[in-house]
Amino acid sequence: MTAMQPAVGASTSSDMTINLGPQHPSTHGVLRLMVALDGEYVKSCRPVVGYLHRGLERMMAARPYRQSVPFTDRLDYCASLNSNLAISQAIERIGGMAVPERAQYLRVMLCEMNRIASHLIFFGTYAADIGATTAFLYAFRERERLLDLLEAYTGARLTCNWIRPGGVASDMPEGYAQAVCAFLDGFLKELDAYDTLLTGNPIFRVRTEGVGIISPEKAIAYGASGPVLRGSGVNIDLRRTEPYDAYPRTQFDVPLRTEGDCLARYLVRVEEMRQSARIIRQCLREMPEGEHWGKQPKVFRPAAGEAYSRTESPRGELSIYLVSDGTANPVRVRVRGPSFVHLSMLPELVRGVKVADMIAILGSLDTVLGEVDR
Amino acid sequence: MRLIVSFAQGFVSILKGMAITFLNLVGRRKITLQYPYQRPNVSPRWRGIFYLPYNDEAGRINCVGCTLCAQACPTGVITMTKMGAGKHASVNAFTMDLGRCMFCNLCIEACPFDAIHMSTRFELASVDRGVSLLTIDKLAQGGADAVERTKRTIEAALEQEAAAKAAAAAAKAQAAAGAQAAEGADA
Repeated sequence: MTAMQPAVGASTSSDMTINLGPQHPSTHGVLRLMVALDGEYVKSCRPVVGYLHRGLERMMAARPYRQSVPFTDRLDYCASLNSNLAISQAIERIGGMAVPERAQYLRVMLCEMNRIASHLIFFGTYAADIGATTAFLYAFRERERLLDLLEAYTGARLTCNWIRPGGVASDMPEGYAQAVCAFLDGFLKELDAYDTLLTGNPIFRVRTEGVGIISPEKAIAYGASGPVLRGSGVNIDLRRTEPYDAYPRTQFDVPLRTEGDCLARYLVRVEEMRQSARIIRQCLREMPEGEHWGKQPKVFRPAAGEAYSRTESPRGELSIYLVSDGTANPVRVRVRGPSFVHLSMLPELVRGVKVADMIAILGSLDTVLGEVDR
Repeated sequence: MRLIVSFAQGFVSILKGMAITFLNLVGRRKITLQYPYQRPNVSPRWRGIFYLPYNDEAGRINCVGCTLCAQACPTGVITMTKMGAGKHASVNAFTMDLGRCMFCNLCIEACPFDAIHMSTRFELASVDRGVSLLTIDKLAQGGADAVERTKRTIEAALEQEAAAKAAAAAAKAQAAAGAQAAEGADA
């Protein structure tokens, strides 16, 4: 047996510092993790973020309010419509715009479709992180059908930019409701099959059960939200606790797990996809006729003041804070993204675990670097 | 005993997984496209490369050079120079720098004249930066020919307008002169 060569800069002969990323498939973007290893165990981990920093907050603040919407597509690019909704809501609040009822249903429908697409990415990439390639391919196949639907509605697959202040940019195309329903019918069946494929797999369970446990106290202390928080048994879903748009008029369950481990977060997301399908069906059924876009002021100069909008994006609480001084451009746009918060939990979660578990934990937090770095 | 049970469970789950992968192997159509040989049918709402539609009836492109699209653009993609005036206005330069474009659709929504559209063309990649700079000749539906015809239509309309104006002015002057002459005769 050959002795392991001590790495340059390592503190003891058995310690080794490695850089995981910024170009590594399991970091889901350009994230660099500086990991100090003792053999196979992680002694400490320091996430280095900012590789994808584009100064989006400042870019949004340098433009008229309504031109900031396309920039939010580039925050959480896996769920662009949810980001569109957050900024639109903030602008509506600061400018006192009303959203027609039909537009509210269309927004919820689009957001839930994007939530499924985003969770399918999680499902696929998480399986790939753990080592199950088949589920990855299946998930992306389903997501492709969903992106085709988004493309038919908005004209773009990823950066949709279709939810705007005051409504939705257009109504549904002809025959869209049937197409969505047909997709959902097939999708739910597929989801059950994938569930059998992955959730029941003993290797997957061993890799995720009891790994990366986040206690409810810790989750709250860090400010976790979304599936990470609900996987730890804290029942907070902004669609329920602070409902917006058509959510108060839809029935759905908020999936909750108390274990707080990777498997719990995974199961919450899988169940959320089913609930999203339920919400989409309700929206299509109960959507009233009417306008898709409310009355818009020609020149938009909201009175001096501030507005804060909280939305539940697939990753958690995505909030946008706007400050107006009465001119056409906002003074400050601040994005409170869930991924950044969740990433800040990583160093504590991975201390003392094996490298492979670190990948499982990072994957289960489901961070998107576009929104971490902004 | 526990080992045997977990082994049995693992075996069953592997069989289940294999059944699903097998069903996917035999019971499905292929969904992949052999890209350069097969092209996807994108939706009619697809937000691809821009074009300025040519209006055959009016013999011109619709754009009147009002710069509303340039003002609506978050990244300053559009520049234009106006040609003509009043009712008979268009552009003789209209440049879009797609290197900055987000394909956000805001310019199209801003246009009150339905003068800028997005096509379903989606192959935007090139090895040359200059290709992403679209001039009016590349943007106008019908190319340089359409631009030339628009120019001619506008010039003709302007000439006609000028001629009409001159004729009206001459008629007015004549009428005034006639009235003066009548006054002189009266005196």
